[in-house]
Amino acid sequence: MARRLSLFAVALAIVAFAVYWWLTMPSTVAAGTLPAHTPDLANGKTVFNAAGCASCHAVPNQQDRTRLGGGLPLTSPFGTFYAPNISPDPNDGIGQWTEAQFVKAVVHGVSPDGAHYFPAFPYTSYHGAKIADVRDLFAYIKTLPPVSGKAPDHAVGFPFNIRRNIGIWKLLFMDRQPPVMDAARSPQWNRGAYLVNVLGHCAECHSPRNMLGGIITAQRFAGGPNPEGKGWVPNITQKNLADWSDKDLAYFLESGLLPDGDSAGGSMASVIKNTSQLSADDRAAMAVYLKSLPAVEGPKRPQSK
Amino acid sequence: MKRVFVTVTAILLGIGGVSAQQDILSQRQTAMKENGRNLGGVLGAMAKGEKPYDQAAIDAALAKLADNAKAMSGHFPDSTKGLKAEGKYSASPKIWDSRADFESHIASYSKAISEVKASVKDIDTLKAAVPVLGKQCSGCHETYRLQNS
Repeated sequence: MARRLSLFAVALAIVAFAVYWWLTMPSTVAAGTLPAHTPDLANGKTVFNAAGCASCHAVPNQQDRTRLGGGLPLTSPFGTFYAPNISPDPNDGIGQWTEAQFVKAVVHGVSPDGAHYFPAFPYTSYHGAKIADVRDLFAYIKTLPPVSGKAPDHAVGFPFNIRRNIGIWKLLFMDRQPPVMDAARSPQWNRGAYLVNVLGHCAECHSPRNMLGGIITAQRFAGGPNPEGKGWVPNITQKNLADWSDKDLAYFLESGLLPDGDSAGGSMASVIKNTSQLSADDRAAMAVYLKSLPAVEGPKRPQSK
Repeated sequence: MKRVFVTVTAILLGIGGVSAQQDILSQRQTAMKENGRNLGGVLGAMAKGEKPYDQAAIDAALAKLADNAKAMSGHFPDSTKGLKAEGKYSASPKIWDSRADFESHIASYSKAISEVKASVKDIDTLKAAVPVLGKQCSGCHETYRLQNS
């Protein structure tokens, strides 16, 4: 009897592990599934700026936004992540990657060797990117200078350091974006929705997160405690920005200046370095979309003394 | 008796020291808010088309910004390192840890103001100039300004 029970337990464990393995299996993109594509480098540069690649991947403490050697630490409640080298260096960067591997990394958060990336890399937002945009981005990054040197390993504690578990996290929290195409809205609104939700990944910081680090969907864009530590990320729904005109928003994205003359600081200063490179049309589209966000009450900010 | 005298004097001096530092913090904030009014309320408002173009007002605003830039370094004496200010923001201790870099930001800001002074002649040159100044503000606030939480 005992023997039969223990056999049963072993079988159950094997099945449970198989289910876990299946649930956490990284998705792949086969090279053959990508249709022919002539890269548009100008669009690749726009995608690069809209997606804010340089904010994390450019070498810290220097001015050149195209040196993508990585190394910037990103602190979080789960540990410290270090942005990797995504320059075209063949040894330390992504110089040997195929286009399909790059698409898989950006859109599915899976590395060339089939491991899940930590969602500190905002592939949850990039998941909705147009494949042509990602391919243009790849072509653009390939034109940038190779930078040698690897970033430090992520300093993340158990159990968050088990990458396979991120497969479960993805099942819970990926694909939770609002639809970014709405035929009833203007092309400008649709472009803005795409830039804000997908490439700009604004919700990644401007939304509160639950204990597992997933965005609380009902309070998307309603601000919350700064995931990087001190301070508070503002609510960018109309609850907080009703006083801002479209023009104020577009101007802020261009100049970093708030309507009252205050200026962007902290991580937002780095975001403005990206948005100031976009076209005036793209900034106007982002403003139109942001103005359309219904007022949502965010988490309550503790009163400071 | 002597001990009481010494204690009381020490306390009074201590309070005097603290309030002198609080004065420095509030002067710093007044200067920053004045910069904000000149940038957002005058230059930015005109660049956005909310106010009519007015060269005299622009010149006055830029002169005020230049004056405040000259006084900027003095608003951050060593005695105020680590002090939390009232309101939304405080100065990061990094200012004093990397003072040379902080001073180079002030120098680059002052240079930008004089360049803008020379370049702004009409609405188009103003439109080009304000984001240049905005970038200077953010360039320092990115690293050296902390939110109070």
